[in-house]
Amino acid sequence: MCQWWWMLNFYVCIVDSPFLWVYGVICIQLCVCDGLLHFYVCMVDALCLCVYGGCSISMCVCWMLHLYVFIVDCSISVCLWWMLYFYLFMVDHSIYVCFLCLQRLDGRQTYDYRKIKITFGTDYGCCFVDLGKTRVMAQVSCELVTPKESRPNEGIMFFNLELSPMASPAFELGRSSELLVKLNRQLERCLRNSRCIDTESLCVVSGEKVWQIRVDVHMLNHDGNLMDATSIAAIAALSHFKRPDVGIQGDVVTVYSAQERDPIALSIYHMPICVSFSFFQQGTYLLVDPCEREERVMDGLLMIAMNKHREICSIQSSGGIMLLKEQVLRCSKIASVKVSEITDLIAKALENDKKARKEGRKCGFAESMPQERITALKNLETTVEMTDLTKQASDIVEGVETPAEMALSPVVPAPGVGQVGAGLQNAWGLEDEEDEEEEVDGDEPEVTIVAEKRGNKKKGERPVVIISDSEEEEVVILNPESS
Amino acid sequence: LRTTMEVCSSDGFNVTLREFGCEQCLLSRPDGSSSFIQGDTSVLAAVYGPAEVKVSKEIYDRATLEVVIQTKVGLPSVKERSQEQCVRETCEASLLSSLHPRSSLTLILQVLHNDGSLLSCFLNAACMAFMDAGLPMSCLFCGVTCAIASDGQVITDPTATQEKESRALLTFAIDSTEQKVLMSSTKGSFSVHELQECIAISQMASEKIFQFYRESVQRRYSKTL
Amino acid sequence: MAAGFKTAEPLEYHRSFLKENCRPDGRELVEFRTTTLNIGSISTAEGSALVKIGNTTVICGIKMELANPSVEAPNKGYIVPNVDLPPLCSSGFRPGAPGEQAQAASQFMADIIESSEVVKTEDLCIERGKLCWVLYCDLMCLDYDGNLLDTCTIALLAALKNAQLPEVTVNAETSLPEVDLKKRKPLQIHRHPVASSFCVFDNSILIVDPTGEEERLSTAQLTVVTDEDGRLCSVHKPGGTSLSGERLQECISRAQVRHREIRKLIDKVAQSVTSGK
Repeated sequence: MCQWWWMLNFYVCIVDSPFLWVYGVICIQLCVCDGLLHFYVCMVDALCLCVYGGCSISMCVCWMLHLYVFIVDCSISVCLWWMLYFYLFMVDHSIYVCFLCLQRLDGRQTYDYRKIKITFGTDYGCCFVDLGKTRVMAQVSCELVTPKESRPNEGIMFFNLELSPMASPAFELGRSSELLVKLNRQLERCLRNSRCIDTESLCVVSGEKVWQIRVDVHMLNHDGNLMDATSIAAIAALSHFKRPDVGIQGDVVTVYSAQERDPIALSIYHMPICVSFSFFQQGTYLLVDPCEREERVMDGLLMIAMNKHREICSIQSSGGIMLLKEQVLRCSKIASVKVSEITDLIAKALENDKKARKEGRKCGFAESMPQERITALKNLETTVEMTDLTKQASDIVEGVETPAEMALSPVVPAPGVGQVGAGLQNAWGLEDEEDEEEEVDGDEPEVTIVAEKRGNKKKGERPVVIISDSEEEEVVILNPESS
Repeated sequence: LRTTMEVCSSDGFNVTLREFGCEQCLLSRPDGSSSFIQGDTSVLAAVYGPAEVKVSKEIYDRATLEVVIQTKVGLPSVKERSQEQCVRETCEASLLSSLHPRSSLTLILQVLHNDGSLLSCFLNAACMAFMDAGLPMSCLFCGVTCAIASDGQVITDPTATQEKESRALLTFAIDSTEQKVLMSSTKGSFSVHELQECIAISQMASEKIFQFYRESVQRRYSKTL
Repeated sequence: MAAGFKTAEPLEYHRSFLKENCRPDGRELVEFRTTTLNIGSISTAEGSALVKIGNTTVICGIKMELANPSVEAPNKGYIVPNVDLPPLCSSGFRPGAPGEQAQAASQFMADIIESSEVVKTEDLCIERGKLCWVLYCDLMCLDYDGNLLDTCTIALLAALKNAQLPEVTVNAETSLPEVDLKKRKPLQIHRHPVASSFCVFDNSILIVDPTGEEERLSTAQLTVVTDEDGRLCSVHKPGGTSLSGERLQECISRAQVRHREIRKLIDKVAQSVTSGK
């Protein structure tokens, strides 16, 4: 009986949740024959599976109950199996437990991507990509520069990735980490080396002025698979971007604003998209789109950049695992499916944005804010009630009495030097009037030296000493010898 | 939850705040996060902390607050540095940082779109992010930007074009307890009277924003978890 | 005893003075330290000034260069202020890239120049879209003891007043600029912005012209920049404890008095330089 039951359990775990209710029903039937205690436990188990459809605390509790029941009435082997399960749970290898059930922590199957959301900003060339909880922003900008000498009639495209400390506390500002270099290199290989953008059309005057396209990618939240999110954001932003039109009269290049002439979109040949695969236990298990927790325990990573015509733009394997030819081929097959899905998604997002702009609807980040969420709130344009503002302001201005003290008069002890301050008024009753009014005959005011040395008096010079009432050092003004 | 308020101003001031909104807790990694939008201007803020602090930055009796402003294109310039200083000192005044001595608080502000009143949007986003992170504060604060047009009219919450056309631009941070001025940053020249008018306007506008803060917190905690 | 008290409890030490409406250095709450100004301190610079407020010393030198105006503003030159706080001036600063305070001060100076239009950038244009002047205003702090912004503004204003623009003619044949260093004319100063800094102690007591230690212990700082018409060029309060409109107004009226004082000082010193020649 127990073997039957186990086979069923395993089967249900492999296939997806629609079978769960069948599982529940059969469980009940089996257990009625088996005994009342087992019946109750299986009821709870079935219920948990139906509600959560995956691993959770309650499932864990359930397995504990199972364990108890099997110890009470069943065979040793099954008992051991459950103990293994339980052990794995307890030592926090929950990821591997999930593989045993062929399910991942967030309930995905091995080849599933997380939910991808693409939104565009108010500016042209601004794109936000949400890949599950991973969030990335890309902004494309352009500038007229002189081209490289080796390629005088080609525009320049460069990428600037920013691992903002916003994305993860491990990222430090202005520090180029290994991850940053890796991402930057891969993005360059994916987008620049695949020549997906017509750089020759970016030439304005050969050898003198070309457009430099700059792609800034900011990581906003790091929850794994930054590379895929970055490549999607970058290519979507490039497809969304429009550069200003230029006119050439003689050797004068004028850049037209968006009001004068419609901006021009970049010409894009194809859209390479990067798909990441992570390998576990020396390639035994393979996952698409690893999340941050999976990335932390993975053994190896394979990144394939491909376009929807199934042309591979780059393959990069890292992490030091040996892959078989079949594994790489399988990955490229999976990648081709994923890439075509994502390309369609980008195309749809671009289409929606274009439509919204055409209809003059508001677009951009402000509009993409989810209204229905409990954490979000929006207020319409509000007018602030004003009462007697002018009067209130005047009251404050007039209400403050002007200080009785008048502006102090400055003293000029030597040409080019002047002093003002309460200390000169001798608030402490020191009579140094004569000193202050000392006029020193000096013909070159530019070389007046202001030295600060308490009691430093050189021969032949008549310093003007102003004793202030503070504990600061006195200012001694020395004049050059006139003789 | 949408509300409209239509009240005529008595002095002929065109005092309106653009549509503004906020979303809290939208990033999973930071301890507190928020996005604040004012018209088209939008800013994303994230807070990490209280966390371990570098020994060189440790302050023995309070938390070290660091503010980082990230521009959309290129590296932050001197202007962002002075804005960082303004935001940091405003936050330091309202945060009860002595409750977390020898620890670090990091606030990262990312510009998503700049359409005027950016500094005030930074302040509002920062305040919401601190609320989301659950850090103890002595008061809330909000930012209001006023532009004085060439004809002397005061425009609150100006757009980028209005900012460019204006004669003077004043940004204030107002606290929630006494409606006093926490921070002031100005550009252009203006008379004393105009300054006081702008302060009074900002104080009144701040009430609207604080009302919004209250509503969003109410909405957020309307369902007990 | 007093020294020990000052080191152990600096805040209490200051409070005990403030209670009596005076400060450790003997000043009243609204009293500035002695301000010393020297114009033309650097003979190699086009314009220069040295300012001392108490111990805080800032030297400003103005250098000029020819440049191409930007495409967006073809009829404008550039003014580039830069505040340097080297390790020389205080133990609180480290060598290397400028810190936040130095950068914020540079931005503040740039804002004042733009807001007050002390020198119109249009005046620096030599030939529209082709040639203009760049004024590099380097402000170097030699000794730091608080109130950097006031000292810098006075130094900048005095140096600009002292600056002499050489005459430039564009050679019609070679279209190259020719600089005549003999013929010089002073820069036109449109406005005279003067800054006054304040500090708030214990959320309530306002003091002017804080020293370095007072700045460290204060809960808020405020700098008001006024010009000769009584208009404000900047009300810069980077944060700290809150102030009501009334308190701000008090600061502004004090700043206006201070403006007259400094204006007289600069004028008198500038006059003594020209008459001395």
